[in-house]
Amino acid sequence: MHKLGRGHRDKLQQFITITGASEKLALQALKASDWHLEGAFDFFYSQPQLKTFTDSRHLEELYNRYKDAYVDMILADGITLLCNDIQVDPQDIVMLVLSWHMKAGTMCEFSKKEFIEGLQSLGIDSLEKFREKIPYMRSELKDEQKFREIYNFAFGWAKEKGQKSLALDTAIGMWQLLFAEKQWPLVDHWCQFLQARHNKAISRDTWSQLLEFAKTVGSNLSDYDAEGAWPYLIDEFVEYLNENGIIQNDLINDSSLKR
Amino acid sequence: MCAMERKIIDFDQGWDYMQKGITKLKKILEGAPETPFSSEEYMMLYTTIYNMCTQKPPNDFSQQLYDKYKDAFDEYIKITVLPSLREKHDEFMLRELVQRWLNHKVMVRWLSRFFHYLDRYFISRRSLPGLGAVGLTCFRESVYMEVRVNARKAVIALIDKEREGEQIDRSLLKNVLDIFVEIGMGEMGQYEQDFEVHMLEDTADYYKSKAANWIEIDSCPDYMLKAEDCLRRERDRVSHYLHCSTEQKLVEKVQLELLVTHANQLLEKENSGCHALLRDDKVEDLSRMYRLYHKIPKGLDPVANVFKQHITVEGTSLVQQAEEATSNQTTNGSGFQEQVLVRKFLELHDKYMVYVNDCFMNHTLFHKALKEAFEIFCNKTVAGSSSAELLSTFCDNILKKGGSEKLSDEAIEDTLEKVVKLLAYISDKDLFAEFYRKKLARRLLFDRSANDDHEKCILTKLKQQCGGQFTSKMEGMVVDLTLARDNQLKFEEYLRDNSHVNPGIDLTVTVLTTGFWPSYKSFDLNLPSEMIRCLEVFKGFYETRTKHRKLTWIYSLGTCHVTGKFETKNIELIVPTYPAAALLLFNNADRLSYSEIMTQLNLGHEDVARLLHSLSSAKYKILIKEPNNKVISQSDIFEFNYKFTDKMRRIKIPLPPADERKKVIEDVDKDRRYAIDAAIVRIMKSRKILGHQQLVLECVEQLGRMFKPDIKAIKKRIEDLITRDYLERDKDNPNTFRYLA
Repeated sequence: MHKLGRGHRDKLQQFITITGASEKLALQALKASDWHLEGAFDFFYSQPQLKTFTDSRHLEELYNRYKDAYVDMILADGITLLCNDIQVDPQDIVMLVLSWHMKAGTMCEFSKKEFIEGLQSLGIDSLEKFREKIPYMRSELKDEQKFREIYNFAFGWAKEKGQKSLALDTAIGMWQLLFAEKQWPLVDHWCQFLQARHNKAISRDTWSQLLEFAKTVGSNLSDYDAEGAWPYLIDEFVEYLNENGIIQNDLINDSSLKR
Repeated sequence: MCAMERKIIDFDQGWDYMQKGITKLKKILEGAPETPFSSEEYMMLYTTIYNMCTQKPPNDFSQQLYDKYKDAFDEYIKITVLPSLREKHDEFMLRELVQRWLNHKVMVRWLSRFFHYLDRYFISRRSLPGLGAVGLTCFRESVYMEVRVNARKAVIALIDKEREGEQIDRSLLKNVLDIFVEIGMGEMGQYEQDFEVHMLEDTADYYKSKAANWIEIDSCPDYMLKAEDCLRRERDRVSHYLHCSTEQKLVEKVQLELLVTHANQLLEKENSGCHALLRDDKVEDLSRMYRLYHKIPKGLDPVANVFKQHITVEGTSLVQQAEEATSNQTTNGSGFQEQVLVRKFLELHDKYMVYVNDCFMNHTLFHKALKEAFEIFCNKTVAGSSSAELLSTFCDNILKKGGSEKLSDEAIEDTLEKVVKLLAYISDKDLFAEFYRKKLARRLLFDRSANDDHEKCILTKLKQQCGGQFTSKMEGMVVDLTLARDNQLKFEEYLRDNSHVNPGIDLTVTVLTTGFWPSYKSFDLNLPSEMIRCLEVFKGFYETRTKHRKLTWIYSLGTCHVTGKFETKNIELIVPTYPAAALLLFNNADRLSYSEIMTQLNLGHEDVARLLHSLSSAKYKILIKEPNNKVISQSDIFEFNYKFTDKMRRIKIPLPPADERKKVIEDVDKDRRYAIDAAIVRIMKSRKILGHQQLVLECVEQLGRMFKPDIKAIKKRIEDLITRDYLERDKDNPNTFRYLA
């Protein structure tokens, strides 16, 4: 029993809410970071996950619950049922995080290997544990490094089998989903630009470099280098923004916010 | 008997004797009536010194005599020389100075002789200054140091007088300046510090003042004439009385004040500056400008810039004129104005090349200026045509039969040489090559080339300038034609030797090597049965000569001679293969619909419409079209026109010309993509890891000989190569690429 001040207790509760960690782990992380929340997050995510023992028999039962009747895989119907059981919308981004843990090769499919090994890595062997883990998986999107991994994983996961590029509509949907988690002021302009000017599939290189662009170039684009190594499409986007006077508006917005 | 001992001379006695000799010398120098030294007197004076120096101590008077030697000069200078100089001024003082210097040198020479024995022993042993040096030093310390400032001022004043056109005594100045030089005793420091530096300063002031006036009132040519005259006269001054080492410094000073300081104002003078001289073809003045400025560091840069601007303006003006003339042309697509433009470019190049070679003495700056100017306007488009296309069309007009140009063989060769030189300025050489190849193909295949030698001649020139790779396809085309003629002879021989093989009609086939020639559509035209038999016969022949080649027929390049049987008379029709095939359909039917013709020929809409237009809606109406209008539509009906006639017995019916510009440009764009890909892969293969900027730079460098790649195009190709797994981005640095084996 620790007697905590109100401030510390509030932080502890906040940390638990965001990460889904146990009180013990939360307390450990906060103490290690001298009760700074941001530092605590870093500490928590940098720790190697202790592999919790999982019951193989229970995992088999879970798999069999959701697997397709004719194919030794979990398909769309099985995933829908799973989402229902863990009370998550199938469109929820947390399903992307789950797929990332499972190393799923493609959207709406989990092989047996993917499913079982993924759940093992998460320490899940029951629906109760699954539900408990949802907040943790959601919080992983806030970690910079993990977000990047999940973002780049999403490309292969969302594209059609056998294709090299990602269909434009799918890409736009994914971007809207992902950038809801990590604010990028230009995401709507980017999607409009693609539909107006590009109207073709998205290459992996463009996909991964867009995240770098969103991270490294200010929203007023003053530090953008058109002769740098940015993909051609991003060059076009910057040109589009300048042509349409969008940057000027953003500049005004920025200065308004500063006042 | 005892030898008589030499009587010892005491110092006073001996020196008293020497004094008499010195006094006599002074009288001579002053021009007083005095008899010259006799040899006896000379010997006695010399001997006296000798005796006084060789007596045993304490009667050895060498040191005293050495001191007395110097005193003799000092006394003479003090009593006689300086007073005579001090009483005179300016030019008169200079004259006196020259005279005194001459006298002094005479005195040094004589006294050195009298006192010679001192030099040989006393001075040598003690390493003292020699008699001559002591004498000169006396003059320098006593006379020169006092008068040098006034002398300098007087000399400079006379120089300025001469600059104003007055007569001066040049030899006087030379003599005075020789004093400045000689007084330095082998070194130039005295001359430089006591005279030269001040004279240069005065020169700068003089010309600064002159230039400030001239630049306002004179035209550029007049100013340059004056500047040239001034430079010449300053050089003249050096050769007459200044020391030769002064020339470079003097010229630089004058150049600075007359040419460098006011360079911009001079060259940019309205109505007479560099631009106006070029406009008015003032060759002599421009040559003078070159002569004046080419020795000045960076002096020619402004001239070259104006030269470049001038050519650019003229060239751009020609482009604009052609643009306006083209939009006023009543006949669309004749291209006449564009051809005039190329001719004018050639003339412009000739004109300004003469300037570069003659006025500007082949200086690299002007070659560069000319090149850069032409690169600007030679890469503009006129009425949608690039220079690459215009140039190839121009060549085509010269090389083909019945071209608009009527030139002698020498004139043709000369013009082609100039065209090839002009090509050096065009960025898109690959585009020129493709257009040229297209037209060359037409000349060769339709026997429209006027002269084989000229065809080979231009290819040789292009090869020299652009490299073997540039012309390899074209040369291949020419060789193909030669081989084709040979092949045709063999075919005719084959027909004679195999009487059982009968093509039925005359057949000439030209075998082409794929890859040399532009790409052509090869459709599955449904040939009439008469023609099919011909092809089979040729195929049989060809297989006897080569086993492993595949023949692909390109009917669109063929020509047929068809006899048309009309009511009035038979007429020989010379038509392309497609219209010929259509005409043969009417041997079996009087009326055919558009769709029937299309089906039976197995051609696309575009080709069917084109051939039907040539037969029914152009100059010769072999077919009657319903409805009777100019536009071919899919609901039209066609009927053979038995009533057709013409005063000629043989007529040629061409197809309407297809717009091939778009096709050529598309082909070139595609080739460029391959070229960029190949360059990138080549670079990355050798480097393995390379930054983006460096990769782009090397890519532009490698491809620059053929075309100027757009940076965006390169970036697109890089992305495509990433997608195709030839390249990847470095994991840690997205600005760096890695080659994937």
